[in-house]
Amino acid sequence: MAAASVYSSPGFDFSNQIRNNFLAGKGLPLPKATSTGTTIVGCIFEDGVILGADTRATEGPIVADKNCEKIHYLTESIRCCGAGTAADTEFVTNLISSNMEMHALTHGRKPRVVTAMTMLKQYLFQHQGQVGAALVLGGVDATGPNLFTIAPHGSTDKLPYVTMGSGSLAAMAVFESTWQPNMSRADALQLVKDAISAGIFNDLGSGSNVDACIITATHTEMLRNVEMPNERVQKERTYVFPKGTTAWKKEDIKKLVLTEEITPLAVEAMDTT
Amino acid sequence: MDHIDMNRLKQGEINLGTSIMAVQFQGGVVIGADSRTTSGSYIANRVTDKLTYLHDRIYCCRSGSAADTQAIADFGHYYLQIQTQAMGEAPTVLTAAAVMEKMCYQNKDQLSAGIIVAGWDKKTGPSVYNIPLGGGLFRQPWAIGGSGSTYVYGYCDATYQEGWGKDETVNFVKNTLALAMSRDGSSGGTIRMCVITGDGVERKFIPGDQLPRFWEGKEVLGEVTKKPPPAISAVAGVAPMAVEV
Amino acid sequence: MSIMEYNGGSVIAMVGKDCVAIASDLRLGNQALGISSNFQKIFPVTDRIYLGLPGLATDVTTLRERFRFRVNMYTIKEGREIEPETFAHLVSSTLYERRFGPYFIEPVMAGLAKSATGGFKPFIAATDLIGCLNFAKDFVVAGTASSKLYGVAEGLWEPDLEPEQLFETISQTMLNAVDRDAYSGWGVIVHVIEKDKVTTRTLKGRMD
Repeated sequence: MAAASVYSSPGFDFSNQIRNNFLAGKGLPLPKATSTGTTIVGCIFEDGVILGADTRATEGPIVADKNCEKIHYLTESIRCCGAGTAADTEFVTNLISSNMEMHALTHGRKPRVVTAMTMLKQYLFQHQGQVGAALVLGGVDATGPNLFTIAPHGSTDKLPYVTMGSGSLAAMAVFESTWQPNMSRADALQLVKDAISAGIFNDLGSGSNVDACIITATHTEMLRNVEMPNERVQKERTYVFPKGTTAWKKEDIKKLVLTEEITPLAVEAMDTT
Repeated sequence: MDHIDMNRLKQGEINLGTSIMAVQFQGGVVIGADSRTTSGSYIANRVTDKLTYLHDRIYCCRSGSAADTQAIADFGHYYLQIQTQAMGEAPTVLTAAAVMEKMCYQNKDQLSAGIIVAGWDKKTGPSVYNIPLGGGLFRQPWAIGGSGSTYVYGYCDATYQEGWGKDETVNFVKNTLALAMSRDGSSGGTIRMCVITGDGVERKFIPGDQLPRFWEGKEVLGEVTKKPPPAISAVAGVAPMAVEV
Repeated sequence: MSIMEYNGGSVIAMVGKDCVAIASDLRLGNQALGISSNFQKIFPVTDRIYLGLPGLATDVTTLRERFRFRVNMYTIKEGREIEPETFAHLVSSTLYERRFGPYFIEPVMAGLAKSATGGFKPFIAATDLIGCLNFAKDFVVAGTASSKLYGVAEGLWEPDLEPEQLFETISQTMLNAVDRDAYSGWGVIVHVIEKDKVTTRTLKGRMD
């Protein structure tokens, strides 16, 4: 047991569940985790894939983060948008990113998008929907551009344009009305921006800025905050309080060491006898 | 949501509402499916491919939970690849169906999957196997499945005849699916079909605006002055979307 | 009533100019009944990292010890002090390990990170109870008064506050938010972390 506390076994730890179920049984419901109410989209264009996401994270009705990043790195040419439980999307993409790097190292070539898709769907299926990650996976590999959606239970769909999250209906409406096959890079980026904007403005769970990521065979371009339609206006005046506004009862100042100088006292020859 | 609970789907799980079908004929089998995937009342995919490759001449039609049936089909595909390497020849449809059935039966408590396995092999020629919800393996000359199938059992019983050729069988599948899709709300979109013979696999795609049409009702009350619906004209250049996994 | 409201308590952290501040209330309750007015929820991790643990009191104690252990192990293995960003990931993965049986804590971190040039960069972060990190550039809040803290901080915070100004801003934010929360209050403690000193002040607040 002593060893277990130093080197805990990998995977999830369920030891709090008995206590938590007891607490829940007494009528104390589980608190809400951060979720990404989210609009995420993906779209294939003439020479690659564009992914898009909004940047709002919510905790129930509260906006927990106004500018979070939902386009996650898997490999240099494969990226993944996450919706659902924020911690799950973060950790599942980190895990698969690590496994993809290992895969690339062991096989000595760039891994494919289907490899990431298979790893993700098998992980999510194993956890039977308990890991609440809804993903849009896109990238370019030896087979060309690829785009998938992966639902929390582990089902996948392969389509030329996809949307997920609570804003998926608003975004899909934009795609269904204006998407065309083999779009140019500029047109596709505009379409992705429009789809995310539809989510930002029409879905309460989505908001703030537009992130986009353009992946082609040779280059990946992460466009963080490519559009910022909800910037806060400059405050008209400041609210800096004069010193002494707050009454305090006790003060304790701890001085910290900033720099250390080492002065050798005397140079002594090593004892080699 | 009654319907989804009935199928024992987990909360928020993606559903293949589905009409699927497989029919055996002289030289091979014809399999077909609609293309609708739903998540509650939202159509998550309107051009789904529910005809899933298991081996060169063996396919399956999937109905039930998308995640469960994909996982089973992925396993079946993996198993048959190993089997082919071990035996040095293509597996039989029965082998494929038996493996799929084993998965469905042994994990029946955790799965919602209704699968039809169909294909052609050297030993028995064309064959169709039905694997219903909790497992079980039944060889049938024709099989239908999914929520849409309940509406067309009578039509199939009344229409099917032995000794058909390829074209008659394709038409039978196409008409049956169109009827099922028109009555079942969780089926729809387009029709995808595969003709599997000893020579190969031929895919067919019927766009949503070119589905066979049957009696669509007429006004009982009110005036009969309305014009009949315009004849369907085939839209030129409609091609299937490249979405096969 | 949620488990998070069982003992009450709130924490906030703010970024200033070359400094950070972290503040918490001092109440420990048993639902509506106040038990203690000196329940510390903020703990020093290193000289320049402070960690606030609002939530279920039993988990405050458990996690404080767990983090002390893991930070000590890190220090021994690496032979150096842990950096704030590394520590944030340590907190995150410790909580996510219990994804399906979580600790009822929403940690808030504040610290100064050593930059490559030898200077110090302000750092704040918070996570939810299963370890989803939120790196904010302005302020982070957690606990039973979080909704009120969000509102007040959104109005009062501004960039590049000097340490003394930051102390006033975070103190006023905390005092006023906590006065509108039944489960937080009974005194406030504030830590302002600068490169050469940490100032800890206990505020005069309402005791009802």
